[in-house]
Amino acid sequence: MISKRIYAAWFVVHFSLITAICFAGIFSLVAEGATILPSALERYGRKAELIAAFVLGKEATASSGVRRGIATYLHAAGIQAGYSFFAPNIPGYHRLTFELYYEDGRVEYESPHVSGRAAALRLDGLLDRLADQRYEPIREVVIKMLALSVWRLHPDVKKIRAIFESVSPPRIGDFERGRGESFQRMFSYDLSLRQEEEEQ
Amino acid sequence: MAPLRPWWTRFLDFLFPRETDKWLGALRIGLGLLVTVYALFLRSDWHYLFASTGRGLVSRQLGEAITSFDSPLIPRLGWLVAVGGYADIGEDAVLSIAWACLLCMGLLLLLGLFSRPAAIIAWFLHLCAAESGGLFAYGADDFMTTGLFYLMLSPLPDRYSLDRQLLQAELKDPQLLGFWRRVLQVHMCFVYFVGGLAKCLGSGWWNGANLWRSLTRPPFNLLSPDILVRFKYALPILGISICMIELGYPFFIWIKKTRLFWLVCILAMHAAIGLAMGLYLFALVMIVLNLAAFGIGMRKERPVSAGSMTDGSTEQHPNVSGLAPGGSPIGG
Repeated sequence: MISKRIYAAWFVVHFSLITAICFAGIFSLVAEGATILPSALERYGRKAELIAAFVLGKEATASSGVRRGIATYLHAAGIQAGYSFFAPNIPGYHRLTFELYYEDGRVEYESPHVSGRAAALRLDGLLDRLADQRYEPIREVVIKMLALSVWRLHPDVKKIRAIFESVSPPRIGDFERGRGESFQRMFSYDLSLRQEEEEQ
Repeated sequence: MAPLRPWWTRFLDFLFPRETDKWLGALRIGLGLLVTVYALFLRSDWHYLFASTGRGLVSRQLGEAITSFDSPLIPRLGWLVAVGGYADIGEDAVLSIAWACLLCMGLLLLLGLFSRPAAIIAWFLHLCAAESGGLFAYGADDFMTTGLFYLMLSPLPDRYSLDRQLLQAELKDPQLLGFWRRVLQVHMCFVYFVGGLAKCLGSGWWNGANLWRSLTRPPFNLLSPDILVRFKYALPILGISICMIELGYPFFIWIKKTRLFWLVCILAMHAAIGLAMGLYLFALVMIVLNLAAFGIGMRKERPVSAGSMTDGSTEQHPNVSGLAPGGSPIGG
């Protein structure tokens, strides 16, 4: 067996990275004020998050070999994300609707869809990501690609309006009183094959 | 340094317990099943998810570009497509071959045939798919990657594999087997402790609101809300129980008296998540990892004899001594 020391060293490094990743996620939640902890702790959460980011090499330049090496290892081991699933709270979900405008004035409604349930689950995850501020730079591109996938099924459509909404499900008490989901439009795009123009 | 020596010795004892390879067999079979199910679940949408710009749902190149921000060295399907291009193999054909290979590797892992190469190729292909479809990835993908990562590094083949039966592969060092099981065990403790801690920090887990929201939001809303309303007083208890089970996992799973109870609770929780929310792949991967880490061979706290390392044969191994399998730092 290779020296136990080598295995032990790898163990320490491996779990140090996992600790940094996991607690970076927790500290981020504290810093955002998303937890039940007092708001006075937010600035400490932010500082702790920066320390964790430093350990992970994220403070280095994008081209840094150390940063890339750590990132590659984290992805290879599947430990690049923390384990704060469904925590600290469950947010609402999101809905993307395409209004399809035809030459003859007809309007149809369509959503991006896939064949299997496994892929549908992933598509819903994508929509929730798009609402995240961090994905703002690629939001429009992804919406256009999703619109294009619908366009291929309806080639005679003249224009597509993509409407992205946040959906708030009712609380249990509201549900008992007969209230349903409430929708809030987050953004929309008017798209045509020749030109794409952001409306809002 | 002398005062640290006992700590170092205890640390090494903790890292290298002597283990049988039963847990590794469970991990291999479980992950083989998972890879097979993963490939079959995505069969109808595979090309649609991973096609290039203008041909699929969202461009594969976009997902790969996002991954490249982290590091250009992370494997992705684009590499395989590029290699296929040199051999005049089109993108569709490369994607089909990648899918078929992934399915084959899952089946090979199930059987235990060419265990190590199958584990490496399965890890690589799954990682490529997870990274290229990063926008579509979720927790189950990360756990599959982690499971396959540990599997390919572990001392394969195990006693239940066809490799062992057909090729008479040599027995592996029980301390090395113990080390990789320890890695998996500690990893699971991190997963649940951090998950439990993050949940405890949200008010919704204390009053049942989060459980209600998670079970009623699409696409997890397999149960009718009317049924949930009938059990509304149980939701806060269930929510708090989930927090406690997850947060307590790294402590009570090591204690012999509480291990079985905690393991059953965790497995029941994942089975419920799978059935009630439709997260079948996620439930399956967590059940497999838990069984391999703490389920298989942990109940019998008897010494590992050299004979027990084999299929009942009397083959001797120099490193096997009379230590209990799954020995823990807290008397487990």
